[in-house]
Amino acid sequence: MKLWRCILLTPKNNLLIGVIIALLIATSYNIGANPVDFVKGLPNLAIIASEMTAVEPSLFVTAFWSMFETIQMAFIGTIVGIVISLPLSMLAARNLNSKYVYVPIRAILAAIRTFPSILWAILFVIMVGLGPFSGVLAIIMYTIGFVTKLQYESIETIDSDPMDAVRSIGVSKLQLIRYVVLPESAPHLLSQMLYMFDYNVRQTSILGLVGAGGIGFYIINYIKFFEYGKAVVFMLVVLFVVLVIDWVSVKIRDKYIVKSQHGIEVTTT
Amino acid sequence: MELLQITSSSDFPLISTKKIVQMNNVHASYDSKNHILKEITLSIDRGTIYVIIGQSGSGKSTLLKLMNGMMIPSKGTVKIDYQTPNINDPKFKSLMHNIGYIPQSLGLIKNITVLENTLIGALPRLGKIHALLKIFPEEEIREAKKILKQVGLEGKEYRKAYMLSGGEKRRVAIARAFMQKPTLLLADEIVSELDSVTAREIMNLIADAQKTMNLTAIMVHHDLQLALEYANRVAVIKEGEKILEIGIEGDKIVDFQTGNLATDEIMEMYSTDTKK
Repeated sequence: MKLWRCILLTPKNNLLIGVIIALLIATSYNIGANPVDFVKGLPNLAIIASEMTAVEPSLFVTAFWSMFETIQMAFIGTIVGIVISLPLSMLAARNLNSKYVYVPIRAILAAIRTFPSILWAILFVIMVGLGPFSGVLAIIMYTIGFVTKLQYESIETIDSDPMDAVRSIGVSKLQLIRYVVLPESAPHLLSQMLYMFDYNVRQTSILGLVGAGGIGFYIINYIKFFEYGKAVVFMLVVLFVVLVIDWVSVKIRDKYIVKSQHGIEVTTT
Repeated sequence: MELLQITSSSDFPLISTKKIVQMNNVHASYDSKNHILKEITLSIDRGTIYVIIGQSGSGKSTLLKLMNGMMIPSKGTVKIDYQTPNINDPKFKSLMHNIGYIPQSLGLIKNITVLENTLIGALPRLGKIHALLKIFPEEEIREAKKILKQVGLEGKEYRKAYMLSGGEKRRVAIARAFMQKPTLLLADEIVSELDSVTAREIMNLIADAQKTMNLTAIMVHHDLQLALEYANRVAVIKEGEKILEIGIEGDKIVDFQTGNLATDEIMEMYSTDTKK
């Protein structure tokens, strides 16, 4: 009640809420969003749901093999992408370089991030043809764009004291990177690697939509032919694998990242 | 009168040897308007312990950064071994190899081991490829282990830095600086937040190095009593200006700027210090 009164009684807030509501109505009208159509379409959802219950267990083996291909694609894409993004992130960090170095690198990275992975996949399908390789290339580009950004941001947040202490010894920039930047940003990198692999497995699952291999190829084809009972087998496998990866990520994070960042094991003098 | 009974534990004679640090009318600022330091003039003898004390924000840490070339004075001159310190000047680099710097938060790399942190001090002596590949010669590893034993960290060489207590972390920072084989040690509040026993242990390590390695240690402190106990000279900084330079001669505290006994001023400061 108090919150409601607080929102309503501030003229500035009232104006802001009014503007948001007006924008919501105007944009909905422009894109033809109609809640009535949504309600009318609900019975179709019920039909799909009922057809999805007709699961075809014989397809589980195929589903697991195609998921295995997807995981391999995501693995290669993540590792190669991170290996490329590491030196790029060193060049893009403001606390390590002059603006003449980091500004152009950041501009290139922003351009890479502009395209979602599915657009990269379309581009590589045109370049190298249908199949998992184009999917891997798409994942590499996507990983480079995002991990480099996350990594240079974490490099910029490294405590300046270790940098100052080692820099004041008179070491070279490469030695500074080797002995301070890499070890100090390693937990972040591991965290980003896990996040990116998790994300890439899910991304790779849909790259099949444009013919870039993986489990998505089966899902889109079964949906196209209204065989929802078969499609749901593949979807369940994706769900299962994503949950397993998430569980493993949490375990790795607990063991290697949380401890090193907060110094859990403390002994006395 | 209690302070007059303090005796110096560092037995180092107050003879004027070659000056290692000379600062003349130094001003420093982080922006063009506000001066952190004003008209600082001081000279520090080689092989002595020199302590700078003052309240937070008085410019003590800035003074250390001027000495290792991480900051350039806006006015005046700073000379370390007759060279102008500037971290970006290649001519100053060889001198930097022998200046140990321990910043306020110690500057340890928390995700690597105690031994690796210590070996960082040996980097200037390593070839470029060896340094990049982290290949340290056996004798450097032996030296690092010997230093770690001296500072009381034997058996903890392979522990990650984040696993250590506050006192142990300070010892690692000292070990890294000693590994440089320094002629000058700049330590920023290395004994703050420590209990008096650990603080004295840390100060004893530095006092021993002063005697055995002819080390010049310039330290920032808050504790006046501890400073007078170990230092050959103590500079008091207030709002960016050096207001006193004192030390113990025999059983008396002397103001080196005037040559007089400094009892009243010290008692006033000491009472403020103990009230905190």
